[in-house]
Amino acid sequence: MNARRHVFTTLAMPIALALVFSACTGSSGRKGEGASGGPIKEGGILRIGTSSGMSSPNPFVGFNQDDYSTWMYIYPSLLQYDTTTPTYDYIGGFAQDWSQSSDGLTVTFHTTPGAKWSDGQPLTADDAAWTFNMIKQYASGPAGAWAGSVTFLKSIQATDADTLVATYDRPSGTALFDLGLTPILPPQVWQKYATGDGKALKTFQNVPENGQPLVGGGPFVMTEYRKNDIALFQRNPNWYGTKPHIEGFGLQFFRDEDAMITALKTGQLDAINEIPPTSVETLKSAGMHVYEGQALALRDFIFNLDPNKTQHRELLNPKVREAMEYAIDRDSIAQTAWLEYASPGSTIIPAGNATGGVQWHDPNVQPLPFDIDKANQILDALGYQRGSDGTRMADGQPMAYDVVFPQDEEGAGDRAFQIIQQDFKQIGVELTQKRLDDNAAWNAMYCGGKCGYNFDLAMWDWFPAADPDFILSVLTCNEYGNWNDTGYCNPAYDRLYEEQKSAVDPQERQKIVFQMQEMAYNDRPYIILTYDKRLDAWSPDWDGFVESVQGIYNNFSTQSLTSVHQA
Amino acid sequence: MGRTDYLIKRAVFAVATVFVAITINFFLFRVLPGDAVRNLARVPHATSALRHSLEVQFGLDKPKWEQYLIYLKELAHGNMGVSFTDQQPVWSNLREDLANTIPMVSLGTVFAIVIGIITGVLSAWRRGTRLDQVSTNLAIAFYSFPTQWLALVLLIYLAAWFPAHGRADPFLINPTWWEHQKDVLVHMFLPSLTLALTLYGEYTLIVRSAMLETLGEDYILTARAKGLPQRRIVTRHAMRNAMLPTTTLIALSLGYIVAGAILIETVFSWPGIGNAVYQAVTERDYPMLQGAFLVLTISVVFFNFLADLLYFKLDPRINE
Repeated sequence: MNARRHVFTTLAMPIALALVFSACTGSSGRKGEGASGGPIKEGGILRIGTSSGMSSPNPFVGFNQDDYSTWMYIYPSLLQYDTTTPTYDYIGGFAQDWSQSSDGLTVTFHTTPGAKWSDGQPLTADDAAWTFNMIKQYASGPAGAWAGSVTFLKSIQATDADTLVATYDRPSGTALFDLGLTPILPPQVWQKYATGDGKALKTFQNVPENGQPLVGGGPFVMTEYRKNDIALFQRNPNWYGTKPHIEGFGLQFFRDEDAMITALKTGQLDAINEIPPTSVETLKSAGMHVYEGQALALRDFIFNLDPNKTQHRELLNPKVREAMEYAIDRDSIAQTAWLEYASPGSTIIPAGNATGGVQWHDPNVQPLPFDIDKANQILDALGYQRGSDGTRMADGQPMAYDVVFPQDEEGAGDRAFQIIQQDFKQIGVELTQKRLDDNAAWNAMYCGGKCGYNFDLAMWDWFPAADPDFILSVLTCNEYGNWNDTGYCNPAYDRLYEEQKSAVDPQERQKIVFQMQEMAYNDRPYIILTYDKRLDAWSPDWDGFVESVQGIYNNFSTQSLTSVHQA
Repeated sequence: MGRTDYLIKRAVFAVATVFVAITINFFLFRVLPGDAVRNLARVPHATSALRHSLEVQFGLDKPKWEQYLIYLKELAHGNMGVSFTDQQPVWSNLREDLANTIPMVSLGTVFAIVIGIITGVLSAWRRGTRLDQVSTNLAIAFYSFPTQWLALVLLIYLAAWFPAHGRADPFLINPTWWEHQKDVLVHMFLPSLTLALTLYGEYTLIVRSAMLETLGEDYILTARAKGLPQRRIVTRHAMRNAMLPTTTLIALSLGYIVAGAILIETVFSWPGIGNAVYQAVTERDYPMLQGAFLVLTISVVFFNFLADLLYFKLDPRINE
């Protein structure tokens, strides 16, 4: 689902000048050690290819993964995740230290003293307070994209230039994530747009103009942006954190993955943020370095569980869904459809999803084994007899279903569908692929108002946020017609959702999150098919990337591009 | 019917065509399943208030007929609206996309026209020879190759020498005007070549057919009987008369330049209008779609009108 991908999932002088600058200062740069143990080679411009691309550099308009990653690199955020640790512990960003009161109602951040924006203006806790108050003010309108970062926030203010205090209406278990990972905007730029109905917040382009870079406070500043083409960045001389080794980087937006792979092989690119499984061997044989790791992404088989549905109500029977899970060969999907670059899935939180020192995936939930005989036994016991063509009949209707299949899932998803289709034939269930573009697919699943959810089955994906709150929320009743794509509504699940949201102790929250995963697994609004593997590639001329479940260019931290250097 | 009457009639017809196209474009995209607000309102914990505010902002809360009237009124004032996706004026977006597309597609189209006419004339002139067979078969082959396949083949084999992405090298250091133009031309090479190869075959076949028809006319036989040189017969007598169907085809091709070339722009990541239209369709960005199709309609109608005018010059019988 495109929108799913989008939600969580690129200076005054041009880059050219950066190169000149690099040539002048290269010898006096920061010293470190390269992979070979020698000194790190400073300077250079890194060229990254990406097929996601930016939709807009304006944080109130953009919705692609590359937009979020770009804001991480050009704007300060209070916190970051340490993506070098498996549990993604929080580390300081603009905030040097932080604390949450034991009742969970107050969070205090101590920000970096003496920090500056790229234009030389002081960067203080006041700027952070201004950003969050502005988001709060326009949360139901132009700042809606960031409304989640101010949930339950009662007030936020700078008690002095370096201290930010947030108070909540109720204890918040997600406060660090909500406030910590939100970009802080320069009031000297944005204040004039945050007036009246705030509409100007969205119409402001926020692109470099007249040779001037965007004012920012991250390790890089954006120097050039061309829609659907490129975004260029140069080192921010006023950055308060660890100075990057590279002088700058460029994002090149590719519409065609084959062209992007060819560009890396022919030296027109230095790195690619996410490559398709089919290109791994090609790139390896061309001498490129290919990273394989766990991704924060899952593929799901979706049931319409809307209790008011009129067609194929047999799918509301948990035993039918259990039988169907027995008939899904996850290993075969992972090996054949995904060429082994995926692992069998179980719960709605992908394996490896951790934040703040806590693993959120429940390893105790094990998926049912592939067992066609068991599936047939269950369906036989339910009395669904096969017709003359081998398709079972349920309540007088053949068990033949359309599977809504969005454009997002093309490729490996097609092969996964074919595997499921063949196996379901063996249990007397007929599946038909209904291919649609993403927008039309959602429309085919949810038709709004009294019409509600009007599909049988679907296949799609989730690219959740680092914090599990979002992926857990998609199964709540509150998300009906919005992120809820199953029609599933379970008050007990909703209660747990609210509890985890207010659980300030991470261990306590983990327990609740595990409970929710188990509940969702047993109720089966989804059968989680596979968890993706993360595949990135780069030229052997570069080294030092810090990988993450979101790849080398991500919105979890600035570690990757501040560490990368020429080999 | 006099020339003036004819022109007035054609002009009125052109204006009516544009108006009908505007109306169809407006309703066509709204018939598509899906809606623009869905994409933009699906942010974590979005409230119904946010969805409603987006609908109000885009005017989608009003009945369709009212939206249509507002659209016509704004269009009459030269306002094509604001893109739902990036919130920028549609014309500003289109201008940028067109500035990228027109040079690349024009180069490919002109190249196709020139090569197509030359090979078509040569094939007809040397009918039945090996030259004719090779030329005609090549034309049929390139005409039938799927565009994206040809683009990928060229990219895979030529990317070592020509850029695979975009319209210019963003990392070129302080280029002079000439260096920049050279860089743009080098970037344009593969997409323009792909376009030229996919288009030229059609010209070859049509020009060859028109030439063969003309070369069979009595006046050509007369010219031959008078002992005129073959080259003169082809260029002076046959080609001029064979240009009528070719003119229509050229007018259509030129009219479609502003439509870009979606598949080629996709393979070469060319930031043009074809790419923009594709994105606008997937995101249900109605104002962008309406704007792009309006520009396309006006362009096609204009070049057809131009072809009508050219007919006066090419075919004196219209005046009779």
